[in-house]
Amino acid sequence: MIVCVAVVGHQNNPLYIQSFTEADDALKLHHIVHCSLDVVDERVNNPKKSGPMLNETFLGLLYPTENYKVYGYLTNTKVKFILVTTDLDVKDADVRNFFRRFHAAYVDAVSNPFHVPGKKITSRTFADRVSSIVKSFGLSSTV
Amino acid sequence: MEDYAEELRSPPVSLIALVGCSEHHHMLSTYLHSEQPPINTLALPDFSKISLLLSDSHRNNNKSSSPTTDPLSSSSSGILKKDWFLKHRTRVPAVVAALFSSDHISGDPAQWLQVCTDLENLKNEIRSKNIKLAVVGVQSSSSAEISEDRMIALRKRAEVDSKFLVIFNPYDDSQLQQSLSRLGTVFAELATTYYRDEGRRIKTRVEKKNFNSPELHVRYCFKVAVYAEFRRDWAEALRFYEDAYHTLREMVGTTNRLPAIQRLVEIKAVAEQLYFKISTLLLHGAKVVEAVTWFRQHYVSYRRLVGAPEATFLHWEWMSKQFLVFAELLETSSKAFPSNFNPLLGTGERPLTEWEFQPAYYYQLAAHYLKEKRKYLELAVSISETDGEIDNGAESVTPSIYVGQFARLLEQGDTYVMQPLSDEEYTSYAISEGKRYQDSFEIIVLLKKSYESYNSLKALRMASLCGFQMAREHFAMGDFNNAKQLLDGVASLYRQEGWVTLLWDVLGYLQDCSRKSGTVKEFIEYSLEMAALPISSDTEVHSFRSKDVGPAGPASLSQREIIHNEVFGLVSGDASRAIAENNDDLKITGDSPLRLEIDLVSPLRSALLATVAFHEQIIKPGVPALITLSLLSHLPLTVNIDQLQIQFNQSECNFTIINSERTESARMTNDQQGPRVESAPSLALVTNKWLRLTYAVMSEQSGKLECIYVAAKMGPHFTICCRAESPASMDELPLWKFEDRVETFPTRDPALAFSGQKASQVEEPDPQVDLILDSAGPALVGESFMVPVTVASKGHAIFSGELKINLVDVRGGGLFSPREAEPSSMENHHVELLGVIGLDEEDESQVWADKITKIQQSFGLVSVPKLGNAESWSCNLEIKWHRPKPVMLFVSLGYFTDSNELTSPKVHVHKSLQIEGKNAIQISHIFMLPFRQDPLLLSTIKPSSDAGEPASLPLNGSSLLIISAKNCSEVPLQLQSISVEDDDDNERQFTLQHSGDLLGSAQLMPGEEFRKVFTVVPELKASKLKLGTVSLRWKRNLETNNHPSTVGWILTKHELPEIIVEISPLVVNLESPPYAILGEPFKYQVKIRNHTQLLQEVKFSLADSQSFLLSGSHSDTIFILPKSEHILSYKIVPLTSGLQQLPRVTVTSQRYLAEFQPSLAASSIFVFPCEPHFKKSDNGDKRKESVMAE
Repeated sequence: MIVCVAVVGHQNNPLYIQSFTEADDALKLHHIVHCSLDVVDERVNNPKKSGPMLNETFLGLLYPTENYKVYGYLTNTKVKFILVTTDLDVKDADVRNFFRRFHAAYVDAVSNPFHVPGKKITSRTFADRVSSIVKSFGLSSTV
Repeated sequence: MEDYAEELRSPPVSLIALVGCSEHHHMLSTYLHSEQPPINTLALPDFSKISLLLSDSHRNNNKSSSPTTDPLSSSSSGILKKDWFLKHRTRVPAVVAALFSSDHISGDPAQWLQVCTDLENLKNEIRSKNIKLAVVGVQSSSSAEISEDRMIALRKRAEVDSKFLVIFNPYDDSQLQQSLSRLGTVFAELATTYYRDEGRRIKTRVEKKNFNSPELHVRYCFKVAVYAEFRRDWAEALRFYEDAYHTLREMVGTTNRLPAIQRLVEIKAVAEQLYFKISTLLLHGAKVVEAVTWFRQHYVSYRRLVGAPEATFLHWEWMSKQFLVFAELLETSSKAFPSNFNPLLGTGERPLTEWEFQPAYYYQLAAHYLKEKRKYLELAVSISETDGEIDNGAESVTPSIYVGQFARLLEQGDTYVMQPLSDEEYTSYAISEGKRYQDSFEIIVLLKKSYESYNSLKALRMASLCGFQMAREHFAMGDFNNAKQLLDGVASLYRQEGWVTLLWDVLGYLQDCSRKSGTVKEFIEYSLEMAALPISSDTEVHSFRSKDVGPAGPASLSQREIIHNEVFGLVSGDASRAIAENNDDLKITGDSPLRLEIDLVSPLRSALLATVAFHEQIIKPGVPALITLSLLSHLPLTVNIDQLQIQFNQSECNFTIINSERTESARMTNDQQGPRVESAPSLALVTNKWLRLTYAVMSEQSGKLECIYVAAKMGPHFTICCRAESPASMDELPLWKFEDRVETFPTRDPALAFSGQKASQVEEPDPQVDLILDSAGPALVGESFMVPVTVASKGHAIFSGELKINLVDVRGGGLFSPREAEPSSMENHHVELLGVIGLDEEDESQVWADKITKIQQSFGLVSVPKLGNAESWSCNLEIKWHRPKPVMLFVSLGYFTDSNELTSPKVHVHKSLQIEGKNAIQISHIFMLPFRQDPLLLSTIKPSSDAGEPASLPLNGSSLLIISAKNCSEVPLQLQSISVEDDDDNERQFTLQHSGDLLGSAQLMPGEEFRKVFTVVPELKASKLKLGTVSLRWKRNLETNNHPSTVGWILTKHELPEIIVEISPLVVNLESPPYAILGEPFKYQVKIRNHTQLLQEVKFSLADSQSFLLSGSHSDTIFILPKSEHILSYKIVPLTSGLQQLPRVTVTSQRYLAEFQPSLAASSIFVFPCEPHFKKSDNGDKRKESVMAE
């Protein structure tokens, strides 16, 4: 189950962060998302370590915490997407698929002429769309 | 890691025992220990000790069913014995070496018997344990020999292979080394055999599976692995450790040998040990990826085995220990990793990430689990206390002989009896043990390691998280200084990256730290920052109710409002508004007024932001200028400001604005304020709404006027001092800039918001002196043009001043400055400043002429004399144009009104004037030949397209040179003379006559042209003949234009082009009367003269004309003798009156292939209808001239 998704801007500032848990661990998830930016930086700054992942937007598993797995995605405009999930056995394909749809939703949201680039995303449509993407996460592989 | 015994941490070393001949033991042990691989030795002085050693281990074995003797035991009471490993490393030798002196061996029978007995006893002792035997004969002296018989007998008695019977000779150096190495090889071989045999023996049991308890399986696998380690067979060791580990993991659900809690504890303890061995082996083999993967499997498989609720803390303690140990292992072995160690990270097939290779990650998690442990321990302690349990004999609980087991040690008389514990007893023991440790310190140490490690990896965010957790520990322990120091660092990162919710949490701790340590200023700063954070009501309020939330409570708008009220209650001294909660130390009184400074980088900018914009960028001294002061606050509630002080760099401009609603508080401080006090109806700062105030300031002092501070006074003793910012260059508010919110301009006028500056330039006072530049029309090239400059005072007296004069090319050709043109290149200056001429009386001009500082070609500096009010002074600038071009003349006057140049401002007046420079006279020339006479000039036969060819003149023939001078200026000119002058002193190669000297002074009105005719007779044949230069002297006509200009005549020169002089072979003359009369015949002659020495063949033809009746030959070829003339003569009767064309004759010279036809003008004649009546006079020549001029 996805517990948190986040969009992080150029200056590593959160543009959109939403947790999907009943438990009261939003603050912890914020910390996790924030810390994962270190790994994103590391991967982006040392591309040779990533080897075959050159020019790929999907950054893969960023780091495992005791209960979560954190995945990252980097758009061409250097906006980062972070996904925190509790599933311990996640298929890469699912995550890629999720990020692809999430990216599409993000592009639509920032294409809104009333959206100022670099500001937080407050669009309710975007939030609805994200939560539906989150709900359908992992279903494609079972179908 | 240090908790583990030495035997676990280091690889095992083979152990042998030396018996007998104790004087050599030391040397042997040292040698064997330094061998590679090393061998440890047990040195036993005599043979009786061996039985003690071995029986000691026997006695221990007797207590429990020894695995070596009872392989089928089904109910072993433990998995691993704690001291088994140690025993094999320190007490059970693989080899016993019996050392016998050669004296004894080859001695008398009694001695020999003793040897045999010792050997026999030894054999009996070690046989049951399969310990290998080596016999060493030690030579007692360098010459001692052991007889062959005795040796064989000894070997037979010892039942050893001959190679295990070694002679040791300590007295001969060469033989010593040899025998030592021999001994080393023998012992190593025997030890390997022993460990292999032992390992194989147990391995067969594992393979046969002839036991029914998994405990034994684990134990046997462990032993096989240890024996393999003794043999340095790492691969087998690893395999069996792993086997043991997996079997152990399966045991969790199956075994029920012990009470539940203790069972789990035991399994975990064994697993820990097994895992430790596996990790060590993997890391020593530099198999980092495998080790990390193994560790992950390890903790994943045990993480869920929490166990019984009352002993949960044991689980977390164990987990924490796993992480700590692995971190330490990784740290110590990381130096051995290759530096370019490069696993594929985060991909599907290798799901490992960067941090999993860093000890920091494991330290952090160790700390995390330790925190869990502390949490559950506290819970368990509180439960046990409420239950009122007494620690019944926890002190008598000791670790049992099995790994991970505990037992009660009961004293029964002289002996101690191990009694198994119940789970309750064990739990209370564990709790009492746990209470003895201060977990917080441990957690801080772990986090600190992680923090430093992450920092060195440049993983600042991870480090921040560790720092934050450390700070929380410090905070919980009441160590506010350390906590604050860490939190400040963390907060700055969160501020920078705009993580508001995290920042809120951190600030909450900081606020509480400062509250508890009683630092008012910091408390207010943190509180204001929190209150001004961009947290709106819809930001996930519900999800922050966790117990993790810091002292600030959940991040929400209402919480911000609470903080806001608390702060302003505190600063206003109004206790009712403050939250009455241990705020006793926080007070702001008159003794300690509080002043906060907000600069351009302060996080408090969002609490109060002040911008100041001057409406004008340049203001005049003494004239009020408007400034707009705009204040913005993101505090959640409206703030009322009592008074605002605005401070400028010119302190006389400072002023104060008082809130008229709060006059009573403002009045108190009224007296000591600056002179100017304004009053505003309300100074209420509404959240996210600019408070705009416009006031006028007046400065007397020229220069920069800048607003520095805006200080807002709120409450009696609280001031926020805000550095003023310019709206145009204002940075966005750091955190609010990411928010989607309405942004307004700080000033009402949006243009001012984009351009407004907090500083303005105060101008110097207006000059009250006129600088007048005058110029009458364009200047003429060559003359010294005068530009009068007048300095007229209109109110300011000039104490001292100077005029700066600059000439600048209008077309942007650059300044005619001395920098650009070197003094040598005078020619570059097309326009030149010659000098300055005063118009005053001679003697006075003499005085000030000395003061002229500098006159250069395009730059001049002239000092201006002292002038009183309403006086004036003038001078003339003398400028000369060498080329016609427009020039901009800049004149600037700088003066002081006062004798003291330091205090009185220097006033500048600037004037500029564009002056056109023009050519006054344009000179041109024409060459003409005599009328109706055409010499054949050979150079003209060839058609030449080039107009620039020099003119050709016939040798000795007279030609006319007409020079015309045209007045191109707009003023009348006066001409003095016009003449052609030689360029050089050479003999003239031509004669030049002119039509008479002019003209006392000829007037030339604008546009008029003056001509003068010269006759040129070249006297020498030349291809290039210089005719000289035309010199024309002229000046402006002063009668018509009263201009203070040129006194003398100006010489304008025009160089005549070179001409070609050549001999003409043939000359054709047309002769006809000047006019004809209708019907009257006249004679028309064509004379062709041959100037050559040759016979010339000439063809001619005559075209008929309708207007004339003609007699004579029309065409023919004639021959003209040298130096003679041929005349074609015609009689012509005109038939029509008017200007008629004579019949045209065409002459062709066959020799030169040159055709000649007279021009239309030359062959025209006027036919009068009847005889005209002319007034005959003598000046017929002149009339002819005027005809030619047309």
